Amino acid sequence: MVDPRADVGAGSLVDAAGDRPPAVVFDRASVAYGRVPVLEDVDGVVNAGHMVALIGPNGGGKSTLIKAVLGLVPVVRGSVQVLGRTPTQARQDVAYVPQADTLDLDFPISVGQVVLMGRYRQVGWVRRPRRSDRLIAAEALAAVGLAHRSADRFGTLSGGQRQRVLLARAMTQQPRLLLLDEPFNGVDAVSRQALLSAIEGLRAAGATVVVSTHDLSLAHLACDDVCLVNRHQFGFGPTAATLTPDRLRAAYGSAALELRGEGVIVAHS
Amino acid sequence: MLSRLLVDPFALPFMQRALVEVLLLGALAGGVGVFVVLRRLAFLADALTHAVFPGVVIGYLVSRESGIVPGALVFAILATVLFTAFAARARVSQDAVLAILLTSFFGLGVVLVSRQRSYTADLTTFLFGRVLTVDSTQIAQTAVVAVAVSLAMYALRKELLLRTFDQQTAQAMGYRVVLLDLTLNLIIALVVVAAVKAVGTILSIALLVVPAATARLLSDRLLVVTGLAVLLGMLGGWLGLAASYEASINHGVRLASGATVVLALVAFYLLALGIGPLARRCRRRRMKLPPEVADVGELSAGRLVPGTHTGGGVR
Repeated sequence: MVDPRADVGAGSLVDAAGDRPPAVVFDRASVAYGRVPVLEDVDGVVNAGHMVALIGPNGGGKSTLIKAVLGLVPVVRGSVQVLGRTPTQARQDVAYVPQADTLDLDFPISVGQVVLMGRYRQVGWVRRPRRSDRLIAAEALAAVGLAHRSADRFGTLSGGQRQRVLLARAMTQQPRLLLLDEPFNGVDAVSRQALLSAIEGLRAAGATVVVSTHDLSLAHLACDDVCLVNRHQFGFGPTAATLTPDRLRAAYGSAALELRGEGVIVAHS
Repeated sequence: MLSRLLVDPFALPFMQRALVEVLLLGALAGGVGVFVVLRRLAFLADALTHAVFPGVVIGYLVSRESGIVPGALVFAILATVLFTAFAARARVSQDAVLAILLTSFFGLGVVLVSRQRSYTADLTTFLFGRVLTVDSTQIAQTAVVAVAVSLAMYALRKELLLRTFDQQTAQAMGYRVVLLDLTLNLIIALVVVAAVKAVGTILSIALLVVPAATARLLSDRLLVVTGLAVLLGMLGGWLGLAASYEASINHGVRLASGATVVLALVAFYLLALGIGPLARRCRRRRMKLPPEVADVGELSAGRLVPGTHTGGGVR
């Protein structure tokens, strides 16, 4: 099999990271469903090529912020710029990975068909996917280590494997910006590692990654920056400097547990 | 013997016309029904069948038989646009909206019919259809709908599949989900309208849902499910007509042909309920277990997840 990293990812972007304009700019942005504000005053920059963790308790607005970057929920105050454009205009360069357990396990669809869906925009209306589309899909599936499951029904895979399939689908879109909604929830160690190394492959090809998660250790290990939110922003910047015990306590309240002299962890509840 | 039961009745011209009509309808509704079942839109389809009813009545009052399809069409489109618009706003839960529209439209139809002198006879015709009296114009209408719907479904197959499987990602990829939903709902409405004359407003829901649900029991592959649904829809139409003819002519038991078609479809469903698990067991025996299944961590992670999707219902 060909090295998947050669083809999958933001292949068109070859300029060095650092010289590029930021991937996402939040300018005091507030997002709302109808009249109810969900998340207020998000202010910060996602640098091109960086991996940024969105951290915060459930219901704190992580998913909503991702949807705002996709242009699916309205920004009611301030602004969100994606790849120098409005979220809606930027969509063709952005790929989204939903939580695997929001999908119907009984759906009669194969793993290969799910991955190929990522190519639908490229294929266009009416036409069938071309050979090249199928090749890209096969390479992406190989990159998450599931090439041998292509013909199996999607619902027969484990939770972690399904999450990897959805990441493979996003990779076939060859995005410049990848958004993942809680990809590590309830995922076993094998799949977690596979997800991380596939994400690394995308970053090596120049893509920017935003991932919402509860996993503070993951933020420390894999992410350059974090954005800490719960209804509003509690911090946005380099991981170590931003995830301070004080800020975590402020964002998580009683779910933040103090470790003796070691800092703060967050209890899932 | 078999040919006397299954072929001979269709030597009669009116039986021939009825057969062509139910074959067309069975194929059309079977294919569209796959999306109705996968999107869990059976209730919406049911509501549409009721909403079409006053259109049928008004059409009939205005210009008798030839007014039925135009009248049904107008109300089907009206109802579809209302459903889709209300569903997109989603202040009230969708099934409540459907129930309100369903009953108000249906009530309107009944009120209109009740002012007729031949109230009961008319009501029965509209509700249950009269497939044995379809003429070549109606067959042509059904054929046009079948061709148009097939073309639309073929053109949109990728996008409808994506939207049905994963609405969020379809939106994220920039597809206008509301427009896709409106298109599918209009297609369902067209099928209901096409089926009104043959099987009536009430029974057309069975043509849409039962063959597709049956096919889903028999296969996990979308292409196979679609093919089976089309075939089962046609087969049910044929067997149902033959059975009602046999019972009425040779045994003196008058069976309503539209309803007999529906019962034939339901019989397939019951058969598939028995066969489905068997077929699945055979398939599993043929498959070799993939190596990962030994990975206990992944197995238990997989077991945690099922059950989260059972909510279903109309979304």
